[in-house]
Amino acid sequence: MPLLEVKNLEVSFGLRSGEVKALRNINFTLDRGERLGLVGESGAGKSVLGFSILNLISKPGRISGGEILFEGKNLADMSPEELRDVRGNRISMIFQDPMMTLNPVLTIGQQMIECLQAHRKISKENARTIAIQKLQQVQIPSPETRIDQYPYELSGGMRQRVVIAIGLLMDPDIIIADEPTTALDVTIQAEIMELMVELCERNNVALILITHDLGVVSQVTQKAIVMYAGRIIEQGPTREIINDAQHPYTQGLMNALPQMAIPGQRLNQIRGAMPSLQKIPTGCAFNPRCDYVRDACTQQLPGYTASGNCQVACHMVAELKQAEQASEGA
Amino acid sequence: MTTENQTSANKMPVPEKAPSAWERFKETHVWHSFIKDRVAQISLTIFMGYVIMALFAPAIAPFDPYDPTQIDIMNSELPPSWDEEMGDEQFWLGTDAQGRDLWSTILYGTRISLTIGICAVLLQATIGIIIGLIAGYRGGRVDNILMRFADVQLSFSTMMVAIVVLAVFQASFGTELYQDLARIMLVLVIGIAEWPQYARTIRASVLAEKKKEYVDAARVMGLGQMRIMFRHILPNTLSPILVISTVQVANAIISEASLSFLGLGMPVSQPSLGSLISSGFEYIFSGAWWITVIPGIVLVVLVLVMNLLGDWLRDVLNPKLYKG
Repeated sequence: MPLLEVKNLEVSFGLRSGEVKALRNINFTLDRGERLGLVGESGAGKSVLGFSILNLISKPGRISGGEILFEGKNLADMSPEELRDVRGNRISMIFQDPMMTLNPVLTIGQQMIECLQAHRKISKENARTIAIQKLQQVQIPSPETRIDQYPYELSGGMRQRVVIAIGLLMDPDIIIADEPTTALDVTIQAEIMELMVELCERNNVALILITHDLGVVSQVTQKAIVMYAGRIIEQGPTREIINDAQHPYTQGLMNALPQMAIPGQRLNQIRGAMPSLQKIPTGCAFNPRCDYVRDACTQQLPGYTASGNCQVACHMVAELKQAEQASEGA
Repeated sequence: MTTENQTSANKMPVPEKAPSAWERFKETHVWHSFIKDRVAQISLTIFMGYVIMALFAPAIAPFDPYDPTQIDIMNSELPPSWDEEMGDEQFWLGTDAQGRDLWSTILYGTRISLTIGICAVLLQATIGIIIGLIAGYRGGRVDNILMRFADVQLSFSTMMVAIVVLAVFQASFGTELYQDLARIMLVLVIGIAEWPQYARTIRASVLAEKKKEYVDAARVMGLGQMRIMFRHILPNTLSPILVISTVQVANAIISEASLSFLGLGMPVSQPSLGSLISSGFEYIFSGAWWITVIPGIVLVVLVLVMNLLGDWLRDVLNPKLYKG
């Protein structure tokens, strides 16, 4: 049994203009210790997916269909008490901006001890010892003094380390990291990413990494999911997706990487922008931006086609593959 | 010698002692703006003076105005001691119509006014904070119901509610019982009448705070609603609470004084500043101005000082109002 299995997940937001589906037909599995990358443009539904795994979609959103099986139990219909026991304890989450995720008026120690005491019957002294240990694990120098400081007394990188330490506090099974390095400067990004991977490996923690950065995904994760307008359009082993993307959208993303551009020329972009969720085109949501669009693409929602170890939602997979082989042959 | 010095210099630096709360406070913006702001310094000094007067009234006052044996009706309406014709050195601010030493009575009156003001505000704050937090955090229907409640409460003026409640109480339970319970009644009435001020302010800041990521983070940690509301959000709304508290104490003191002036507050046997002013009012045309004017000045200065402190605090705690 996989650690986490998401089946046909659907999340809707009830707006005045009607119900909008932010996520449709999401299926994937995650094993213990596995690292999964979740890629897509802004608005693709990555963060909503992250929150829905913890059943923390705030109103007017709700999980309107499907199951989220964590160790076989469905998180979508758990009682609030059961959910509280999972949140922070078995599945924890790390947010984008460490300036905002720490409460400015409580010391780091108070926040960590509070989290420990919420889940375990534990004395303040013991909780403090564990908190110091975790701060040591994330390589914060002199954690004994740092623990009594307020967030504003720490630098950005240091704060994100604290946030990671809080994420690891209860030895969770899964960490969901929602763009954990976006708010940091580039030199620190690499350090923090490395640290997270190392800690996940050492503690056998599964990681769901939400990011726009395909570079990070290729370095860190074993599996990748590409999302577009609330659907998964391609998923499979990271290496295959990076080296041999099947979906025209994924190909576009790869081509848009600065490394792919020829010096002196403009960067490659995917033309157009992601459609608003209220106005998703019929058929394949990507069709207005796609170079290979056919009649089928504008009429029918593409199902998933297996290609190697990947699942791709595109009508054109077979055709594109043939064309590719032909051009290679020529 | 030199080697010794070197080794000691090479030792690991001794970790600095964590700065004490006072040292930390001296680094804060509040302290810095305080030592620069003359008005705030003077206001705080005067306010502290009032607090000391109130706390140590029995020790400072030369007479006990509640003790009838110390009052001599023959001493009534004596002017302040600087009046050379009539003044008596025993009573430096003069006496009131019943022969009580005005200085002692003012000391005790300040004590009563401040106590009632602070207790009433504590009550307001407790009710207002709880309701404001719940309304802001839960939102939706709960918010609607609680805030309509607040609107209804606000549409009755404090004075009207207080007058009706106190008058009915006095009429139905008799003046005797009323005199015993006057303090508690005043605290209750003023406290209950003004809670929407707090509830509204707090709801507004909770609405802003609950969208911040640390609240999401707390929910992700699996913390309960109560914990998130009271331990995570409430401390972040503390600055507006502090600001309105200073203003509200001043308001509560004024309300108490007005009610006492109208004869619905503290009884004449245990006068607050308001009832003192009121009791002297009848004699103002017979030349005994000091019974009204002196407690009046005391009251005005107290309220003014508190409002100035509140203003200063608002400027300090609201970075958007920096005057550069």
